Order: sequence, then C-alpha cells, then structure tokens
Amino acid sequence: MTPLLDIADLSVAIDGADGTVRALEKVALRVDAGEVVGLVGESGGGKSMIARTIVRLLPERSRVTGSVTLDGRDVLGLRDDDLRDHRGGGAALCFQAPRASLNPTRTVGRQVVDRLLAHDQATPEDARQRTVGLFTEVGLRDPDRQFDRFPHELSGGMCQRVMIALALACRPRLFIADEPTTGLDVTLTGEILKLIAAQAVPGERGVLIISHDLAAIARVCDRIAVLESGRMVETGPTVQVLGAPSHPYTRKLIAAVPDIARVREAMASPATANGDPVLSVSNLDVVYRARFGRHGLRAISDVSFNLHAGETLAIVGESGSGKSTLSRAIMGLLRPTAGRIVFEGTDLAHLARRDIRDLRKRMQMVFQDPIDALNPRMSVEQIVSDPLRLVKMPAHERRPRIEAALSEVGLEPKFLGRHRHELSGGQAQRVGIARALVLDPAMVVLDEPTSALDVTIQAQILDLIRQLTRRRDRAYIMVSHDLATVRALCDRVIVIADGRIAEQGETESLFTRPSSPVTEALLAAAPRLSPEALSMKKDAHVP
Amino acid sequence: MRLVVFVSRRLALLAPVLIGVSIATFVLIRVLPGDPVLLIVPETATAQDIADTRERYGLDRPLVVQYLDYVAGIFRGDFGSSITTNRPIATDLAQRLPLTLELVVLALAIALVLAITGGLYAARHVGRWPDHVTRIGALIGNSLPEFWLGLVFILVLFQGLGIAPPPTGRIGTGFDVVRVTGFISIDAALSGNPAAFLSALHHLMLPVMTLALVITAPMLRSVRASAIETRDGDSFRCAEAHGLADRVLSRAYLVRQTLIRLPTLAAIIFGNLLGGSVLIEFVFSWQGLGQWALRGLLLRDYPVIQAFVLVTATAYVLVFLLADILQAALDPRVKV
Repeated sequence: MTPLLDIADLSVAIDGADGTVRALEKVALRVDAGEVVGLVGESGGGKSMIARTIVRLLPERSRVTGSVTLDGRDVLGLRDDDLRDHRGGGAALCFQAPRASLNPTRTVGRQVVDRLLAHDQATPEDARQRTVGLFTEVGLRDPDRQFDRFPHELSGGMCQRVMIALALACRPRLFIADEPTTGLDVTLTGEILKLIAAQAVPGERGVLIISHDLAAIARVCDRIAVLESGRMVETGPTVQVLGAPSHPYTRKLIAAVPDIARVREAMASPATANGDPVLSVSNLDVVYRARFGRHGLRAISDVSFNLHAGETLAIVGESGSGKSTLSRAIMGLLRPTAGRIVFEGTDLAHLARRDIRDLRKRMQMVFQDPIDALNPRMSVEQIVSDPLRLVKMPAHERRPRIEAALSEVGLEPKFLGRHRHELSGGQAQRVGIARALVLDPAMVVLDEPTSALDVTIQAQILDLIRQLTRRRDRAYIMVSHDLATVRALCDRVIVIADGRIAEQGETESLFTRPSSPVTEALLAAAPRLSPEALSMKKDAHVP
Repeated sequence: MRLVVFVSRRLALLAPVLIGVSIATFVLIRVLPGDPVLLIVPETATAQDIADTRERYGLDRPLVVQYLDYVAGIFRGDFGSSITTNRPIATDLAQRLPLTLELVVLALAIALVLAITGGLYAARHVGRWPDHVTRIGALIGNSLPEFWLGLVFILVLFQGLGIAPPPTGRIGTGFDVVRVTGFISIDAALSGNPAAFLSALHHLMLPVMTLALVITAPMLRSVRASAIETRDGDSFRCAEAHGLADRVLSRAYLVRQTLIRLPTLAAIIFGNLLGGSVLIEFVFSWQGLGQWALRGLLLRDYPVIQAFVLVTATAYVLVFLLADILQAALDPRVKV
C-alpha cells in the first residue's frame, strides 16, 4: 500500500541575513490513511517547518530539496489552482495559537463557510447548515449561536474547536495539528486530542500531530517520530518508541516528562503548623463588579487556608477555575470583596495602597512566561537589582546581593550584562526567579513557572524549584495545572473549581485517595507515559 | 440603537469640550502681548481716543463679563464682529468655512483613495520596484513644502500647459452663482449652470491636488505597514493554507484588517488641515478659513480667533466621532 503522505530526503535551508540556516536535514516521514502520527521534539527543532513544507507556506528565501508526496501527487511541484486545491483539500493545517489564527473581523461561522465554498463542499444555500453540523461535530456547545460570534467572544478551548472545524471544512486527506494543546488545561487537552485523533479514518484520512509535549500526545498516537535539530532521530510505533527508545535524545525527552507516579522525595519533616502562619486566608470572596448594577462575576467564594514558613502549597484547577484571581488577591493586586488575607500578621484587605507596596517586598512572584516578564531593554543585572532599587538599597550594596541571588538559581556572574534576547527560555526563567529571591521574601508565588518551557528545560527548572523549597524559612505557593509537578514538589494541595475549594490536603493522601470528583477528573486527565496508560489508548483506538 | 446612544453620548461630550476650549482661548489670547486697540486707532490717537475705542468694543469690562456676554451672543447666533474689519464673524464664517471644507474634504478623499490603493499595491510587491516607486513617490510628495509644490503646479499646469485655471480664487469670473449652501461647486450645480459647475471644479483641481499629495504619504505608509503585518499574520496565513480563493483572501482576510487603523489617522490629518491649509489658500488666493484665522491672529482680532478655535474644536470632535464609528464598523472588537 502506498502511504498517504510520504516525505523522503527532505532538506530545507533558509537564507537569512546571518547566513543560511539548515532547518531540516534529510527528513523522512510517512503517514498512512487511518493513522495518527505524532511528531515530537523541542521548539526550534523544525517540527513546524515540516508542516509548513507540506502546505507549501515556507518563507520566500528557503531552498527545498527532496520529495513530498501526498496521495500520489508531488506536493513540491504544485502550482496555481492545483496548489490551492492541495492547501486545505489535500493537507489542512490547524495552526497553533488558534485565537491569533482566526480572522478577528469575521464571524467564525463565515470563516468556516469560506472554506466550505473554497473546496466545493457546499452551495451557499446549505453552507450555514453544514457549518452548524461541523460545529456540533467538534463539540461546540450551542453551535447555532456560535455561528455569528467573533473569535474574541470565544474562550481558548472554543477557538481551538473552531480551528479544527476550519480544517475539517476543507475535507482534507491529511489533517495536521500544530501544537494543538498549548494553552489548554489538562481536561481540555485530553478532549481536544481525542477529537483530533478521531479524524483518522482508514482509507480516507491520516492525522499528523505536532507537539513538544510527548506525554500529552502519546495517548492518541499510533506512531511517534522524534525530531532533533532538523534531523529525524527515531520513528516507530508509540509503544516501541516509549518502551524501548533507541536514540539518546528520545530517552532524554522521556526522562524529562514529570511522572505523576513519582512521589516527592526526601521530605525531611513534613512542614506542619509550627508558630503563626506566614499567610492566612479566611472566607475570601472576590466578585468582579459589572457595570450598571448588573450581577458581578463571583470569581472566588469562601476560600480559607493557611500557609506556614517552609511549606510549599499547590493551587491547582482548570483554566477559569479562579486560580489566577486567587493568586492576584494574595499578592495584593486585587482587593477582596469579603474575607481576610493576613500576611505576616497584617490584613491586606484594609491596607492603603502604599502600605501594600511595603508588604510586597516580603512577597514575590514568578511569572508564567519568562520572556514576557523581563524588560527587553534592561540587562540581567538591572532586572535583578530592580527590587533592591525600589527598597532604596545603596548601589554599592546591591552587587553582592545580585550575585548571591543569581548563584542561588544556578547562573554565573557572566550573565549580569546580558539582555533578554541573549537568554534561552530556561535562563530567562532563572532570572525571573532570581529577581523574586533577591529581596529574600517570606513568600514566593510561582504562577505556572514551567508551562511556557520545553520539556527538557521544564525538568531543570523544576529541579531548581525543588532545591529552593528545601529551605525551611520561606513559603512557596505554586499555581499549576500540571499534577505531576505538583506531586513532586508540593507538601499540600488546594484544588479549586468554580472559585471554591473542592478539596485540600496533604499531597500524598490527596493523590492516592482523592475525595472530590474534581480531583479525580484532574488526576484521570493527567498525561502519563506508563505502559497501562498506553495500552488503554490502544484498546480505545482499534476500530 | 446602540449607535444612537453612542453618538448622543459623544455629542453630549461636545458641550464641556467647547466650554473648556472657549475659556482657555478667551483668557490666553488676552494674556498674549499685543493689543488690537492699538492696531486699529490712528497713530495720532490720544489716550482718551484709545480708552474710547476700548470701551466701544467692550474690552474695558471685567473678563468674566466679557466672556458671559460672548457666550450669550453665541446662543443667539452672534459671534460678535471683527475688531479690525467690523464685519460680523458669522457672515465671514458662513462664507469661508465652506470654501476650506470643500478643499480639505476633497483632498482627504483623494488622498484616502491614493493611500489605500497605493499602500495595498506596495504591500503586495514589497521589496520590489513597484513598492519602492510608490513609497518614494509618496515620500517626495510629503517632503516638499506645499506652497512650493503649489507654485510648481501653477507654473507647469497653468502657465506651461494651460490645463489648469489661473490661481485667482474659487471660480472663473463672470459666473453668477446663487448662494444656497456656500459650497460653490454644489451651488453652481444647483443653479443649473453646467459651465459654472465645471469652472468651480476646475478651480478646485490644483489646490486639491497639491494638498492631497502632501497628506497621502503618512496614510500610505500606514496602510502599507498594516497590510504587510496582516499578510504575514497567522489569520491570513491560515486562510491561505486552507486554499481560499485570492478574491476572498484579499477582501475578507486582508483589506478589512488592514484598514482598521486608518480612520483615526485620517481624522488627525483632517484636524490638522482645517487650520493648516493656510499656505495653499495663500498661493491660490483662496478666501478660506486659514487665511482669515491667520490674519485674525496677527492682528489680535479676538472674536476671529475665538470663533476659529471653536469651529476647529467642534470639527475635531465630530470627525473623531465619525472615525470611531467607522473603526467600530471595521473591527468587531471595538464596541461603540
């Protein structure tokens, strides 16, 4: 049988201002109809380049050699009408960052209709009906109403479903999804991946999923292809690649996946309530006020918990559950509607703005996107010394503090003069952590500190955080939707759903004996690479 | 319905803006050095003559009284009279505002067409010669002083080739146009005199062309930049990757997103032109608002300056209101 997609000897070189970049080197890849193939590797490895080659959307200055055949047609030689027909009808690409990839000035329904009409899948008369049908298929609730809505009126998950509907409307032979799970929480990730995998139909359509998140996509893929720096290092059935990886890079990727079965090691003494808590939240309510007396949105209701020095507390929940609102309230960035937030004996709710600012020296935050959180015009030294400047520390005393903070996060003094663009994602996040530590705060809030990073880098940053949390004089709050990380790092867990605490308790007891259905659902959705999980997938997938 | 609410709210905003602007102008021009009374009395005038003149114009009264009197006048449609010419301001405005508006609105309309087509064209051929030609052309138009460009046009197109009429005002001599709207080309059309109408349009040719060329460049650059940004953006790429036809691609996925920012820029340019067309008005003997205002300013003719500032401020508010409505129509993320 000839494969649906056959890529052989594909090399792509891009001429840039600083010479030629060899993006892909002699890549081979095959996707059969009815098959789900996962293409994994770290960012910058050339994964998206393969997708863009298949739909012929490479930068102008690229030189392509080798062959790409889809359904027997030579893709690289297509022109004009044949090319237009191939784009969408042959291979349809689901872009990553769906919201940015939808047209903000056109209703999502019209955008689907545009595709239907482009590929003769509908007459103008029945296009609307067909679109509503597609919306139902991709699991959009209330599909008829969504037709006339604009992308900015939809949630991230809904935009992802619309993006899938757009690709399906072209009725492609090959369905390509580029990083389809970025920015989605665990439960949604599972649903979206299942939806994408379901598009593979024997004899009709193949699916190619591109992702840096091996653990997430392994569940739905028949075969996995591993790409490292533009070279294909390993290809094979999922069970074989994960169970007996032959290439060191594959082993590195697998090792980097945080394992949810791994228990937090060497907990010296489970931090217990000794003395007064650093932070005490009681009966906290946050209501976002609406204009003109309409009912506000109740983002947090009746949340209470304590945090002691030396403790690491996780706040987990799906997106929209109120995690971010809670961490903002704790940092004094949001004024609570009711309840108390007592930090080191002072109630934040009744403090004047400038007094909160004084308190904030004792509480620091590490942000989700390390690159966005750093000022591009400032050197590392300036970034890390900023908090010191704000507390009016004399300039000559700052240098040793900065170097100490950098060494605490594992950066050498040579980084002091560097700027944001000279740092990798991992190094940037280390700088972000150093900035949070330089004032020696009593509490640090880590907001999804690894979710914007590649898996291998994630593992290093988590190691760093693990070391930091061993110090017993500081309290950490980690906001996350990644349960494996939480299990490996945190003493206690608070599970939030709909703004309320669904469950809280010691990490181990919560993981082994969850008492709330919300926790159970989160645990079930968590990606894992264990053999049982994979065999589960196989059973589900065999037609 | 929402649009009606939006427009009425913005129009209600006009009142505080005009009150603020009028007070500020009223006070500022009186603080500035230069006394209009000294400019209009004969050189032989005694101190008593000067005091009498001052009293005649009511300039001896307290500032607050003068201001309230002025505002009360406006409500009766009386903007006072020019100190230097004694003509009622309202008459001057009715005559001159349409002249300038005709010039500016037409120039802006032509510039918009040039900027949109040129900008999209340049963006389509970015980095190749059509792009360079369009951009350099626009840049030249932008960097030449408008009075000089106007003089060159007169020299070449009137004196040289004889295509354009002489730069002697709004319409050829000998036409008897009944004044209805004040916009001469409209009035000529209404009076059913095709020759007068053509002459009116003909006289618009050079000044409008000059002004349009000067203001095209910034808008063209903006259109070109946002067209490139949109075309390289994910939403256009995605539509392209899904094999949409070129016509749908450019109409629905490129042009509309490209034009979102244009109304605001055009409104700013329009506002600048209202007072800034003065050089063109001089070159073409155009009895418009700009010349009138400049003369009022030089002679410290208080009522003229006040009326000019009020008219410009009103126009600004109205034009920005229009721009915001246009922008909301183009971009569903913007709520009116």
